[in-house]
Amino acid sequence: MIWLIILSMAAVVFVSRHLLLEPKIPIRLSKNTLTFLSYSAPAVLTAILAPIVFVPHGELAISLYNPYLTCALVATLLAYITRNTLLTTVLSMGLFFFL
Amino acid sequence: MSTTKSITIPINKSQSFFAGALAVMPLTIAVIPWGILAGSFALEIGLTAVESQAMSAIIFAGSAQLVALGMIKAGIGIGSILITTLLITSRHLLYAIAMRSQISPLPLKWRLGLGFLLTDELFAIANQAHGNDTPAQHHFDRWYALGGGLTFYVGWNIATLLGIVAGQSIDNLGELGLDFAIAATFIAIVVPTVKKPSILVCVLVSLTLAVVCAVFAIQAGLLIAAISGMAAGMAYAKLTNEGGNKIASEHKDDTL
Repeated sequence: MIWLIILSMAAVVFVSRHLLLEPKIPIRLSKNTLTFLSYSAPAVLTAILAPIVFVPHGELAISLYNPYLTCALVATLLAYITRNTLLTTVLSMGLFFFL
Repeated sequence: MSTTKSITIPINKSQSFFAGALAVMPLTIAVIPWGILAGSFALEIGLTAVESQAMSAIIFAGSAQLVALGMIKAGIGIGSILITTLLITSRHLLYAIAMRSQISPLPLKWRLGLGFLLTDELFAIANQAHGNDTPAQHHFDRWYALGGGLTFYVGWNIATLLGIVAGQSIDNLGELGLDFAIAATFIAIVVPTVKKPSILVCVLVSLTLAVVCAVFAIQAGLLIAAISGMAAGMAYAKLTNEGGNKIASEHKDDTL
């Protein structure tokens, strides 16, 4: 079952990456579809990160004593100010392991 | 970028290859904690070492792998896992559209190879200027892209292997807070993309719903939150007439 999951996931991921690179595949995505897809990266990534930050141990933890939340706020500020992915990631993770 | 005719084989292939490898190095370092997490988490939920490594070697998609592992752990079926994977990976359709003019004229083996290696990271470096190019005269260099893509692939797999080895010898690796690496990386990617009010709406709706679903332990939380966020962002853009025809260009500065 694990192998079935691995191989079918690999197929889904590969097709999404490769499909529109094929010259024989005409692009038939409508403008609305493209607009909708343009929100997919922020929406999906946020939906993955939000529970890690706000619900770290299965319970809502909106508190400054929640290191996930405080470090995420620091990361947000760093990303906003520096716009540097590596700097933001390294500094906020350093702070997290320090706390 | 602007001219498709300028696809030329560079004078020195290996120089281009190593330039690409060098360009992707910072992003490769940033992904190490994730790779360790992907390897150790896979072992923890009961995959064998070979299966754990195969996820990174064959699927090669960090966020999709980690989310799928969480779903396997929760006993969720393959259908839901694949739908979620499709949603998470759908942003690659946009990357492919953006790079289509450069990659689609290449021979099949290049299309397949670069297609397999087309991650957020490769997309980020392939659209940066390198060498003596200024961004305006930047042209696509297949060896540069291959060097970057392969380096990142090897880095991701070594990090996964580290996680598998560490997971076998260290208990409670998950409690070290490696999952914060995911949050930190995604924050670093998402924040700079919030360039329009509609994207902020999208992020806030997705965030709120994801948290609510997590609190109530709703399994399809990721799907509900992400699709609602996308719909809310699009609706806001339509209602306020924000103008949404800059799709591909918006994504050029995604960094991961």
